[in-house]
Amino acid sequence: MFWAIDYLCLAGVLASALAAVRIRNLNGSVMALSAMGTILSLLFIVLGAPDDAHSEVVVGAIALPTLYLIAIGKVRAHVTDDSEDLGEVGEGR
Amino acid sequence: MRNAVVVALAVIGVGFSFSGAVGILRMPDLYTRIQCSSKTITMGALPVLVALVVAEGPLSTYGSRTLLVAVLLLSVNPLASHALARAAYKRGVPMWSGSVVDQGAERRLQDSDPGGE
Amino acid sequence: MTTIYGAICLAEIVVMVPLFVRLAKGPTVSDRIVALNTISTQAALAVLFFAAFAQRPIYLDPALWLCSFSYLGTIVWARFLERGLL
Repeated sequence: MFWAIDYLCLAGVLASALAAVRIRNLNGSVMALSAMGTILSLLFIVLGAPDDAHSEVVVGAIALPTLYLIAIGKVRAHVTDDSEDLGEVGEGR
Repeated sequence: MRNAVVVALAVIGVGFSFSGAVGILRMPDLYTRIQCSSKTITMGALPVLVALVVAEGPLSTYGSRTLLVAVLLLSVNPLASHALARAAYKRGVPMWSGSVVDQGAERRLQDSDPGGE
Repeated sequence: MTTIYGAICLAEIVVMVPLFVRLAKGPTVSDRIVALNTISTQAALAVLFFAAFAQRPIYLDPALWLCSFSYLGTIVWARFLERGLL
């Protein structure tokens, strides 16, 4: 049962990292990054490192995406919910 | 006996969690997806937490932390869902084309038309 | 009893798979945030049950962090959507 949890967490980290690279929208990519931090902390706990998991939760899953959202919102003030990746990704794939 | 109660509560919780996740995947609209997310918390997470409390006892190390997690989930998650849905509605994220009622739009229409009853 | 805990932890991780699909292809950012909130909740439950499965109470604290502070991104994005700027 332990190895199944281990491999599922590895697959989740891989999938969310690929999503963070492939998504063409900046805010959506930040969301995928936050999911990667969450699943990576779960993987750290499964591998037996609770201190790393603690810092990964606080930094990688909570603080870093929030700072990215604030920074993107301050730099590009016209980013709205409908300036979305429909055109670019639809052509790219 | 205690094992049977724990397994029953866990099966209920995991089943509702999975149905909520499939709902988030399958629903056509942002607002219905938010509704599925809230259902995942209320009916999916709480029976699983209650199962851990029943198995370990409410005053043990695991049980007290589990009760704290349950209180946090019940208090913070509806707030976040409400804030997100309100902001999306104000911004004008489109509804599903098959939705039948939009009371905010009707109220705005009545306010902008003072002569009509 | 620990076998039951491990099975519940495994099931909570399996539940995340449709949420990852929605996170990867959600048409708007708000859809991705809804999927991310549910992923955080499921991860907190998985951490709790893995702590009970491994019989290590020190593993319980990241679950508390995930439950109490994983909604900051949602609040920031909702404020950004509602007011246009921060």
